Amino acid sequence: MPLSQSNIRFEKVSKAYGTLRVVDDLDLTIDEGEFLSLLGPSGSGKTTILMMLAGFEAPSGGTISVGSQRIDPLPPHRRNMGVVFQNYALFPHMSVAANVAFPLEMRGTPRLEIDSKVARALDMVQLGAMKDRRPAQLSGGQQQRVALARALVFEPSVVLMDEPLGALDKQLREQMQLDIRALHKRLGLTIVFVTHDQSEALTMSDRIAVFNRGKIEQIGTPREIYDQPRSRFVAQFIGETNLVEGTLAEAGDAGATVKLEGGGTIRVQPSDLRPEAGRILVSVRPERIRLGPDAASENAYPATVTDAVYHGDHLRIQLDNGAFGFVAKADRKTAEFNPGDRVMVSFAPSDCWMLPA
Amino acid sequence: MSETSLKGRLGALALVAPLVLFLAIFFAWPLVSMLKESVSDPVGSHAFPLTAAVAGDWDRQSEPPEALKQAFVDDLRAIDDQQLLGDAVRRLNSAQNGFRTLMSRTIRAVEEQPEGPLDLVAVDRRWADVRFWRAVADSTNPYTDRYLLAALDYERDASGRISALPAETSANTAILLRTLGIGAVVTLACALIGLPYAMLVASVDGWKRQVLLGAVLLPLWTSLLVRTAAWFILLQEQGLINDTLMSLGLIGSPLPLIFNRLGVVIAMTHVLLPFMVLPIYSVLLSIPRNLMPAAASLGAPPWRAFLRVLLPLSLRGVVSGSLLVFMTAIGYYITPALIGGAQDQMISSVIAFYAIGSANWGMAGALGAILLVATLALYTVYGRLSADRAGGR
Amino acid sequence: MRAATLFKLLFGVLAVVFLIAPLVAILPLAFTSSVFLTYPIPGYSMRWFNELANANVWRMSIINSLIIGTGTTLLAGTLGTLAALGLRNAGLVLPGLFRTVFLLPMVVPAVVLGVGMQVFFVHLGLANSYAGVIAAHSVVAVPFVVVSVTASLAGIDRRVERAAASLGASPFTVFRRVTLPLALPGILSGAVFAFATSLDEVVLTLFVAGPNQRTLARQMFSSIRENISPAIAAAAFLFIVGTLLIAAIAVLVRRRTEKMKQPAEA
Repeated sequence: MPLSQSNIRFEKVSKAYGTLRVVDDLDLTIDEGEFLSLLGPSGSGKTTILMMLAGFEAPSGGTISVGSQRIDPLPPHRRNMGVVFQNYALFPHMSVAANVAFPLEMRGTPRLEIDSKVARALDMVQLGAMKDRRPAQLSGGQQQRVALARALVFEPSVVLMDEPLGALDKQLREQMQLDIRALHKRLGLTIVFVTHDQSEALTMSDRIAVFNRGKIEQIGTPREIYDQPRSRFVAQFIGETNLVEGTLAEAGDAGATVKLEGGGTIRVQPSDLRPEAGRILVSVRPERIRLGPDAASENAYPATVTDAVYHGDHLRIQLDNGAFGFVAKADRKTAEFNPGDRVMVSFAPSDCWMLPA
Repeated sequence: MSETSLKGRLGALALVAPLVLFLAIFFAWPLVSMLKESVSDPVGSHAFPLTAAVAGDWDRQSEPPEALKQAFVDDLRAIDDQQLLGDAVRRLNSAQNGFRTLMSRTIRAVEEQPEGPLDLVAVDRRWADVRFWRAVADSTNPYTDRYLLAALDYERDASGRISALPAETSANTAILLRTLGIGAVVTLACALIGLPYAMLVASVDGWKRQVLLGAVLLPLWTSLLVRTAAWFILLQEQGLINDTLMSLGLIGSPLPLIFNRLGVVIAMTHVLLPFMVLPIYSVLLSIPRNLMPAAASLGAPPWRAFLRVLLPLSLRGVVSGSLLVFMTAIGYYITPALIGGAQDQMISSVIAFYAIGSANWGMAGALGAILLVATLALYTVYGRLSADRAGGR
Repeated sequence: MRAATLFKLLFGVLAVVFLIAPLVAILPLAFTSSVFLTYPIPGYSMRWFNELANANVWRMSIINSLIIGTGTTLLAGTLGTLAALGLRNAGLVLPGLFRTVFLLPMVVPAVVLGVGMQVFFVHLGLANSYAGVIAAHSVVAVPFVVVSVTASLAGIDRRVERAAASLGASPFTVFRRVTLPLALPGILSGAVFAFATSLDEVVLTLFVAGPNQRTLARQMFSSIRENISPAIAAAAFLFIVGTLLIAAIAVLVRRRTEKMKQPAEA
């Protein structure tokens, strides 16, 4: 496989089961060395894309290529991609070392070389001491790391991961996220990572492709996805947000003004969005909302606190200004809020993002 | 212990007790009486109670004491159950040839002189031979190991040592070996068909899986007799198989398919195949679905993935299935009895022959004990295996 | 890949034919007009079914099978169901031992058990009696009942029973209104298994039954052995049709119970 120009390209790829189109006319390029997350709810087609890339599902139409070579006609065992499966798929009848040695044996690697490579791969995931155990004798996190070592030991340039951390508890999962990220950097791997956990995708990826109903809703860096969502689906799937409906009253280079449904206006950051009939949604993230006794910004509204819930590191405050409701996150140390309190709600125009209604 | 939990325990026991009692009487007790038959030898002690009482004082080597001789004569005078006497004579004759004529002469002499001491050597010279007295004394022991020994083709010679029976009378080892042989061939045939079949069932889904599973379950649910009768019809000289082969011109005269080993193996393989397919199938279902894709992603071509992953993982099912089939096969009676010839009878047929045909409970019991022990041993191994599997998950 | 698929198909078809063909082949012979059990069939008639219904040996054996089968179903069904309920009770000591013992009659070779019963039943005075045959059949039928009822009891969610208790039902009411109805399919299929086992039993019958308790299976056995006639095929026809009917009912019952469970899970 040519190393120079080995980005992965999906061109017009679709996959249908009967009349159900799971993947619809997909165009996607994955750069060499990139960490790309495929993020979406279950049934959005993200796992199918991974399975097509690994060779377990054949596309109904379109082509998949790596560099200049088409790979969609290749059987899975000739694709040379490491795959980390959901629930790991370790061979229960083989020891940890035999599991890791398996791909090397399949490639006819000499015995001595196998031993040293297996030892190195197990050291890399800190499981050198466990090499003679059976998978059933390991904890979930250890099994996960064996699966990782097995997928990396034959030095594939592309590693595919299908919800690899889904079965781990929260702390272990966060540790593994950092470990995988470090491995990615150190080995210069191309990683395609399927997940339905948006925070996992945000912390790990170079780019995120958000999937909905077999199509890419948006692809971009974690910042772009979080700060500049291009659709209601993306805005709501990634993090929490306040969405208000309105019409675009005026737009210029300095910013735009949106007339709200229930009266009043919002100044928003400049955008090239020019919706037909002027219908528009404005998204404001709860943590960007400031609460105080007085107006501190262009966008300021009086509101009543309807509920305040303690969340440990922050307070989650439910607000109502008569026309629309808000959710805000506030530092729990700044002030106390109680239901019935009257406050001023304000947010900077640069924290207001327009998207199509 | 709280009152409720005690009540709960008693309640549970009360629910289980009727079946325990039932099985104790109608299952365990019959097995025990069968085992007892295999070591009991009551005829001598019933027929010659006085002899039995003094037989223990004699060392079996020296000249038999007068008391023993007198007790034996008194026993012969006292006996009035002609059937018991006949049985006793037969029992003695089977231990020592010549007793039939010796006893009829002796009984006549005893009848002629109903009282007082009787010189037996004068009646017949053979009473001077210590071997005949040894047979009489031995026959009064109510327990014997000769059936168990005979079941394995051994006997005790005149001096009480265990020795192998001469080849021409040693039928039982041949039958035991034949039983094991037929069992092994049937098990192998079931494994050779059952493993690929179970894999086929597990590899398809929807209606195909239903059909394949149904094809296994329907024979399993169908009466054993019906299946055996069906094979009888197919295999007989003018049966469907021979007719078809002849009309195709493949053979000129009917093949001998019935009343021989081939027919027994075919019919038993058909009957026992479900016991091989179902355990393998259940093991295959428990194998995670992503292991074969994992092997492929690691570079294994389909046949190597099969050899290294699927086959070793399904082997456990093959072992369970084989034990089940073998265990059932060695106890089979109906199929060999109906499809097999005289040379294809297995241990069960011989047991049935001794029990029903010749009323020889001792031999039936002894052979039954061997079969029972073998079956229970195999079942224990099978139980261990399935317990391991349940615990290992 | 093509060749492998073709091979799979061929193997599958051959194996299914091997499994099913014997059962299919015997069916048409039930309607032969000839006295031989061979193909081609010269003409069709119901004479062998008439023979079953009218010839004394066959009619008696069918009646005997029904009597003994019913007795076995009641005896093994009751004992097995009670024992399965006891096995489910957490208070039972050594449940594993009981379970193993209850399954043993399935393992012990029939001829061995038969010899023992023949010897022992003479002492009990049960030789050549209906009670003896029913007891013998129940011994080998009871494991099926225990397995079947245990399985259906294991499928009952304990929380349903606890819910009933929390709603004010006494233990006996919980059992009668919740446990028993939910276990009923298992009890019924256990009963069917018990009846079928009795119907098909030959070996124990050979050892413990007298001429008056000759069952249909026993009659078929000696008929195949001594003078085989198409009456065998007619009897086999009844057996196979009966099996299919029972299987169909079992599938229907399972469908219904699954439907009953589905909305709760969705």
